[in-house]
Amino acid sequence: MKIDIHTHTKKCKSGDAPTREISPADFCETILSTEVRIVAITNHNVFELSQFEEIETRLGEAAQVWPGIELDILDDGSRGHLLVIVSPKLAKEFSAAVGELAENSTPDSFTATIEDVLKKFDALNPLYVAHYKQKKPNLSEEVLKVLLSRTKKPECVIKEVTNSISAGIYISHGHSSIYGSDIHDWAKYEELSLDLPDLRLPVDSFEHFCLLLKKDTTTINTVLDRKTPEELVLRPFDDGSMLTIKAFNDINVFFGPKGTGKTCILKAIAKHYTENGIDARVYKSASDNLDDIFDTKGKSLAINLNAHDINYCTDEIKALRGASEVAVTGLGKFANYFRVTNTSKNASKILLKDIDPEEVGSAKHEFTEFNVAVKTTADFIKFLADNPSVKKELDDEELTDVTRILSGLLERLSKREWSSFSDWKEVVLLNSAIKAFRKEIERKTGKPAKPTTTGFRDYAMNRIMIEVNAAKIVKSVDTVIPMRTELVGSLGLNKGDLQFLSEFKFQSGAVSDGALSSLTVVKKIPQKKFVNCVRNILKHAYADDLFQHISELNAIEDVENIKTVLELLLFKRYFALGGQPYTPSSGESSMVMLQKELGTDKEVYILDEPERSLGNEYISDVIVPLIKERARAGKKVFISTHDANIAVRTLPYSSVYRCHGQAGYKTYIGNPFTNNLVNRDDMADQLDWKKISMRTLEGGEEAFGERGKIYGNN
Amino acid sequence: METIKATVENLDDKYFIKIKTGDEEISIPISDDKPNEVKSAFNKIITRIKSGEFQIKLDEVRDDLFSQVANEYLIQLNREIQEVRGEMKQYGLV
Repeated sequence: MKIDIHTHTKKCKSGDAPTREISPADFCETILSTEVRIVAITNHNVFELSQFEEIETRLGEAAQVWPGIELDILDDGSRGHLLVIVSPKLAKEFSAAVGELAENSTPDSFTATIEDVLKKFDALNPLYVAHYKQKKPNLSEEVLKVLLSRTKKPECVIKEVTNSISAGIYISHGHSSIYGSDIHDWAKYEELSLDLPDLRLPVDSFEHFCLLLKKDTTTINTVLDRKTPEELVLRPFDDGSMLTIKAFNDINVFFGPKGTGKTCILKAIAKHYTENGIDARVYKSASDNLDDIFDTKGKSLAINLNAHDINYCTDEIKALRGASEVAVTGLGKFANYFRVTNTSKNASKILLKDIDPEEVGSAKHEFTEFNVAVKTTADFIKFLADNPSVKKELDDEELTDVTRILSGLLERLSKREWSSFSDWKEVVLLNSAIKAFRKEIERKTGKPAKPTTTGFRDYAMNRIMIEVNAAKIVKSVDTVIPMRTELVGSLGLNKGDLQFLSEFKFQSGAVSDGALSSLTVVKKIPQKKFVNCVRNILKHAYADDLFQHISELNAIEDVENIKTVLELLLFKRYFALGGQPYTPSSGESSMVMLQKELGTDKEVYILDEPERSLGNEYISDVIVPLIKERARAGKKVFISTHDANIAVRTLPYSSVYRCHGQAGYKTYIGNPFTNNLVNRDDMADQLDWKKISMRTLEGGEEAFGERGKIYGNN
Repeated sequence: METIKATVENLDDKYFIKIKTGDEEISIPISDDKPNEVKSAFNKIITRIKSGEFQIKLDEVRDDLFSQVANEYLIQLNREIQEVRGEMKQYGLV
């Protein structure tokens, strides 16, 4: 949520750019396309009530609009600009006051003194925002002094500067500062709004904002308590002493000199949540185990080949390894049959023996097809009857119609299934009878019977199945598996994203990349031999030497461990930048580890000195935004830190300061909004949050220098 | 369907069924049980099935024993070739 306390909707003065003009509709559309949710309209020396009211109506609950004006102040020979902003509830009174003040003048000719302003507006409890220093034309220090001394609410006088850096610097020197867009061209507002101040605490109204400016403790605590704080009773220390802290589902920071027990507190917090069944562990910078965490050696690496439409080929491999040659019928049997004339009278009466066996394959196939059709149709009828979506889409009559047609089809298919089954079995029975009679007559007469087969069918089918199985295996190992890419984290704007790549490749028989490892216990040489053997088997499926290749396959070392094509899979895993392998330094490892921790979705994050090994820029640009994002999502973030970028720039809802003095350890609890830290054991013992932070934290002064990005504190 | 002619040939008192298909000659020994030679012939026949449907017909059926044997053998072989071709279709091999 951002705030813009300085906008223009009209070209009022002759020097104003025409691009400041914007209609109420376009104004609302533009504001709502940004993160700005509080906006003040501050035209030069003009306030147009009707326009304000139209904007207020159009924005509704989506954003707050505050009435205001940018006045030309001419006082004591000094000319400067002063924004006067009031509560929307007082828009009419404000409009009347502006009317009286600007009577008999044009926006170009208008000037007023501070006295005039106080006289007309101070009763409306306004927010005064004075152009300051580099923000031209600025009010002089003298004129500001007068304003501060004469207004009823000096806490509502803020200095407007040019940007966040200036605001931070002035804030660190004790000046309430803010900056607004002072928009000159609405076409650029969306981009410009990105740099506007964020509101760390939710602001309900103009009055609420003024209370927050006043650092009203009750108001601040009420706002903080919206985050459903939880009281944690901990025993973090060896002496068993108890520590009670208020934990927010936001950022909770622990800071103070080394050796004051911050890590012990974090461990106690982790224990507390773990005992309550919540996943919580203390994250410590661990740059040396990035390889373990990402399992670069692939110890736990797994892949589901079915997800890539790859057949595991379990049956095919088993069949190929167990394949053996099928015998054929010797032609001597045919010759014997024709050589000997069977003179047995009884045998001559049995004509069945002379019938040629019939082809059985096509009859069997026809039955199989009808069988599948019957089963599929029956299943579909059942599906229609049971499926709630079908019932929603079809009314009873339609469902009955569909079911009737399908039931008719099922009945016809069933009849064909039975008739084809009968035809198939008829052929089987006939062939079986022919074979049995021939065998029996041969046995009784001692004369050879006519062979029932040349053996070609079985021989050919055996070879065909070897070809089919080998082809399936080759198809599987020739499948390209897409590389698995995992974002590890950002290494900053210059280097970009560090990725973790998992490359899978089947041993095709020609892969010799030494960086690839076998995914299973099967070694790379047997893998290679196996695939080459299978390719040879496929190539020689109808060659005389086929079974030599099958013997070679079975002679491969550890071949018994190759049960599926998974055992033929190779992999390599590595970190990469821009697709090229990259070995992150220990600092970079720390960066991405922390990002990974914060990128994991959980309720509680406990970070112990996350800044270790990290550069300031990286903490500011990557880590701080990530921490804030987790807090915005309502997660509990506990951080022990010595880094001001984290402790200050995240504006924690809770700051716990631990120190050690002659009287022993002390724990102070507070927040940046009230700007104080209160001793848990002595409420009268209070410290200034800002001063302690600046003194204790590394980079404290610099952090305050840039804190102007965030409003609601000074 | 293509018909491939076969003949019964006698070489040094050994009888063979000779099937001429394209440039290749398939030879099946009749008078001796030589399973490896039969298998080798079968391998060629399977390969030939992939090229198109066919049947093998004995050029001349005589009354002698080996002609009778060859004729009977080819009748059965033709039936099995058709069956195998049907199976190959199922597996998408033809």
